[in-house]
Amino acid sequence: MSTITRRDFIRFAGAATLGLMGAGGTARAARRASAHVVVIGGGFGGATCARYLKRVDPGIKVTLIEANERFITCPFSNYVLAGWRTLDSITHGYDGLKRDGVEVVLARATGVDPAARRVSLEGGTSVAYDRLVVAPGIDFRWGAIAGYDEKAAEVMPHAWKAGAQTLLLRRQLEAMPDGGTFVMAAPDNPFRCPPGPYERASVIANYLKRHKPKSKILILDAKEGFSKQGLFMEGWKKLYPGMIEWVPGAKGGKVNAVDPKTKTLEGDFEKYTGDVINVIPPQRAGEIAHAAGLTDASGWCPVDPLTFESKQQKGIYVIGDAAIATPMPKSGFAANSHAKRVAAVIAGELQDQALTDGVYTNTCYSLLAPDYGISVANVYRFTAQGIKEVQGAGGVSPLGADAAFRQDEAKYALGWYASITAEAWG
Amino acid sequence: MGRVRQHLSLLVLLPVGALAACQTTSSSTPAASADQAMARNIANNCFTCHGPGGRSPGTIPSLDRLSAATIASRLKGFKSGTEPSTVMGRHAKAYSDAEIEAVARYIASGGR
Repeated sequence: MSTITRRDFIRFAGAATLGLMGAGGTARAARRASAHVVVIGGGFGGATCARYLKRVDPGIKVTLIEANERFITCPFSNYVLAGWRTLDSITHGYDGLKRDGVEVVLARATGVDPAARRVSLEGGTSVAYDRLVVAPGIDFRWGAIAGYDEKAAEVMPHAWKAGAQTLLLRRQLEAMPDGGTFVMAAPDNPFRCPPGPYERASVIANYLKRHKPKSKILILDAKEGFSKQGLFMEGWKKLYPGMIEWVPGAKGGKVNAVDPKTKTLEGDFEKYTGDVINVIPPQRAGEIAHAAGLTDASGWCPVDPLTFESKQQKGIYVIGDAAIATPMPKSGFAANSHAKRVAAVIAGELQDQALTDGVYTNTCYSLLAPDYGISVANVYRFTAQGIKEVQGAGGVSPLGADAAFRQDEAKYALGWYASITAEAWG
Repeated sequence: MGRVRQHLSLLVLLPVGALAACQTTSSSTPAASADQAMARNIANNCFTCHGPGGRSPGTIPSLDRLSAATIASRLKGFKSGTEPSTVMGRHAKAYSDAEIEAVARYIASGGR
């Protein structure tokens, strides 16, 4: 990177004019120039953070550690299920990060030694860091639903990490007979992408309506309500009347056990069965967060609401789905916001700048049909007292809006994806 | 402005111990830089949907060729509701007019 930022220029110009390269200035510049920030995880949070660190201060050395050569986004993977998008179109590589001067190490991080400030990698090597950003996303609590383990997921896919699981569920839907039942088990809060299960039910309804119109969808939910519920239900009634049934926890929707052999799900009151079964299991922070001692009893990572520094390990920042950032949802957009915040916090620290409060956003679009979009948007102030939703702003799309409004939001959903993925990987 | 820049350079050249003392006695510079940090922070929120640097690769309008006056007046319109929108009204209501003007200047000047 040969680009000189304006700040660097001022610094150089000042030094040259005065002819005074004082000891303090050189030491500080050297500290900043040699600072090494390591980011674990190349998803929405990690990739965006690595690039923003380089953007805020090209003098910082940034290394991204990621196990896979390519990242497949969970957002828009529902549209692969519906047959609207290919998996290729939601798959992203790391060339953009390399162009920005980020060193990309393709390896699985297996542990962190916070005292020695080193990340150990599969294969026995390790990487030293001055600051560490951990963005591991989610892992599943296998066995939290009795009988639902990795093997069961080959019969009843979760498809909640996009890739092979998405294609498996798609094949099952394609093979399902007309008049069949698609059953989904939706988890309790907190989990990745709160509107995701209901968007999935919507777009699968769209596919079934076109290709297998006698089919039904049953959502078995561990919760009593869900994100954008009024808007989803309004849309289902209008677009897919009589096709989607939602069973809340109190009415027996919570799935306690599954049997992949008989394709049954066991609720509090009765057993359910279906032709295609999608179990979205309870979740927790990605594995490395546990290995690094960043999680608490909840399975997620407590962080300082102002800086996203781990409350359990100094010098380590946790962003994205793994972090407890209530009231922000676990979404790609929230991860993008955390990423920008942490890039500013780390760069500011290395430059000895005072830390200011932050203001960040979340906007999640869901499609109910290719021309029918809805959204939730919120703005949050990051303060020492916590993350606060700005009152009087934010909220969901209006109920009863006309077709043009829904069409505009469907159009903007596509634009949202193009932009946020360009920021992360483009 | 020239004086402020030179002051910043001097700060950088001072030993670290003295730096803290200088910062506490200099009132305008940290405040100006805090405002700048906030403008950059808010602009970065815009770029998530409007594209890197405000250059949109998709169906959401780009911001990078708009003047500060246009950005500020549209945002104020979204905030008051005089300008119809899908999602922008929900965002704009979260910011003060001063923040709107600062972020408009920041985006229109290409991130400075």
